[in-house]
Amino acid sequence: MATKPPWFWQREKYTPYLLLLPAVLTLLFVVLVPLLFSFYTSFTGYRLIRPESLWEWVGLRNYRRIFADGDFWSAFGKTIIFLTIALNVEFLLGLGIALLINKITWGQRTLRTIMMFPMMFSPILVGYQFKFVFNDNIGILNNALQSLGLSDGAIPWLVDKYLANFSIIFAEVWMSTSVFAILLLAGLFAMPRDPLEAAKVDGCNPWQVFRHITLPFLMPFVFIAMTIRSLDVARAYDIVDVMTGGGPAGRTELLWTLIARTGYDNARMGQANAMAYISILLSIAFTYYFFTKLLAARQYMGGAE
Amino acid sequence: MTNITFKTLLAATALTGITATTVAAQEIDYGSFADYTLRVKLIGGAQYEPLYARIAEWEAMTGATVDVLSRKNHFELDREIKQDIAAGSLDWCVGSNHTSFAPQYGSIYMDLNGVIAESTLSEFQELALQNSTVEGRLVQLPRHSDISNLYYIKSLYEDADNLSGFKAEYGYDLTPPETWDQVKDQAMFFADAPTFYGTQFVGKDEAITGRFYEMLVANGGALFDEDWNPTFNSAAGVEAVNFFKDLYEAKAVPAGSLNYLWDDTGLGFASGTVALNLDWAGWASFFNDPENSKIAGDIGLVRAPKGSAGIRTGWSGSHTFSITETCDNVDAAASLVTFLTSHDSQMVEATAGLLPTRAAVWDDAKAQFTADGNDFLVEVFETYAISMSEDAFTPPLITPWIEVSNEIWPQLQAAILGEKTPQEALDEAAKAARLVMEDAGYL
Repeated sequence: MATKPPWFWQREKYTPYLLLLPAVLTLLFVVLVPLLFSFYTSFTGYRLIRPESLWEWVGLRNYRRIFADGDFWSAFGKTIIFLTIALNVEFLLGLGIALLINKITWGQRTLRTIMMFPMMFSPILVGYQFKFVFNDNIGILNNALQSLGLSDGAIPWLVDKYLANFSIIFAEVWMSTSVFAILLLAGLFAMPRDPLEAAKVDGCNPWQVFRHITLPFLMPFVFIAMTIRSLDVARAYDIVDVMTGGGPAGRTELLWTLIARTGYDNARMGQANAMAYISILLSIAFTYYFFTKLLAARQYMGGAE
Repeated sequence: MTNITFKTLLAATALTGITATTVAAQEIDYGSFADYTLRVKLIGGAQYEPLYARIAEWEAMTGATVDVLSRKNHFELDREIKQDIAAGSLDWCVGSNHTSFAPQYGSIYMDLNGVIAESTLSEFQELALQNSTVEGRLVQLPRHSDISNLYYIKSLYEDADNLSGFKAEYGYDLTPPETWDQVKDQAMFFADAPTFYGTQFVGKDEAITGRFYEMLVANGGALFDEDWNPTFNSAAGVEAVNFFKDLYEAKAVPAGSLNYLWDDTGLGFASGTVALNLDWAGWASFFNDPENSKIAGDIGLVRAPKGSAGIRTGWSGSHTFSITETCDNVDAAASLVTFLTSHDSQMVEATAGLLPTRAAVWDDAKAQFTADGNDFLVEVFETYAISMSEDAFTPPLITPWIEVSNEIWPQLQAAILGEKTPQEALDEAAKAARLVMEDAGYL
């Protein structure tokens, strides 16, 4: 007697898909649906305080307004500069810290734990901490500079065009450099010893070993860290909002402080979502750039094709 | 006790002529709501917290429990409420509100006429209730009011060197200022940055828009004409911006002023490094408390000065409580709101310097301060009573006010920092404000 063929979902080749289905459906529900919905709202005059405005189709009006809005493009440009400076400084400091800790033979675990402390603070707390450090009148930095005779004036750390951006970048770097340090330290731990010893035998000096062996080996880790951090930094909001609110006069306005003000304070969520979709292009561009660099680095090391 | 009895008793309280001024809280029946949990969202902050200690008393009286879902500053609370509106999750009953914020919330809050007993409402100041009314609906019950007057360090005005030096430089006697021109002169005279400043101002958000707005009015200008066209880019507006700009350029105010909000200015004045400080009444006790303030016992107070049109600045508003339309137990909500704005509750707030909205509390608080020998708070209440009755005006009670404000303040900052001329900055703000008013259907 011939056995009845199983239903198609009972066939072995479909089992992986069936097992993945709940995860796929969950992802669709919690990621794709909100994304599509917010994309739709970017073509509406949706105001948070008027839920019925969700159905007011305005076509490309939000996008047209944004393209003609100098404040938006100013924030866009400042976000790119902020990203570039913060990522590079964090990379350099993270690399230095990782190399130093890698050299230590005693207390390494304790140092690694201490290094992670800044990451444990909420960005809002970090923002408040540095808001008071950089306060021009009662801040510890100005008071220290004046007490040491290094300054006889109140340095406007959070007002001056350059100093305000420096102060915010400083806070961001203080909080997140350890991400780079930890990832690069993991890279150093995973590094094979043979090439290093061979280089030493061949007479390479420490700089040559670092330049031609250590650094190329670390580059995939660097680009992974860059990709993760670029997504984080492009969404920078809490620290900036607490320290300067994007001001004064838009001097420290980044994309997400502008988007949050448009969406929540002004309740123009349709327009804010349109801004957010344009800003996503920035994240995609940085991610794509770092991903191609990552692939190139891995190919250089004989890894992925 | 039924809810009907609660309302009846409140009405009876007034009918028998027993006012809240003579009845202790425990003698008023706030109803019985056993096993009911009232969900509330409240403004938080050092000045506003002492009142909340009384909530336990209301819980004991009524058998209800209060679940405080939020206790945030008003800007954060505003964001949260907007998200609740968008999400359709207004599943709470009582919310802190403000006369400046209320108009934007549409119809989420109920008309309290008919919900709060008429006898209770009659005990509130008429102007406070009027300012709490949006499009004919009393959407909030005023908790306390705000208006600013000018605090100053008294000893500076008694110092012989200051008196002679100022007269020699400016040609008139150094006395607490009566006009904003005099404030500017005196602030520049006292300033000795970075250790001492003549004055200060809040420099961002609706805070600086409000300060600009009251200077604009004091100089004879207006935010809008009668058809809602923005008119603040007038000569009076430019004069107002120049006041802030001149002080900033002369280093008569701290360099970080443009990032300051109320806490920064309050703490700055209390630190003894600022000569003149236009500020709310709620800071009075803090300024005069030796534990918090280096200038305790050395504080003078005068009414807010006049602008070039001879009008005193008097931007004002009230902190309030509202009840949502979706509330599942309106009587319990009304009971709590009535309790939190009762005579005894307002006496608690008055002790910190917060200005009552019940007429009788003004007199009773002043009598209490006199009996306690607190001459400073007596002076505070006398000064602020005149300001509230003669100088107070609110921002336009229109839906897009906060949005208009958000167009104005970054431009004010740009002008103060010299990135634009005051006229250019105000013209740009007026253009953006016009767009907001058009979108909102006012133009």
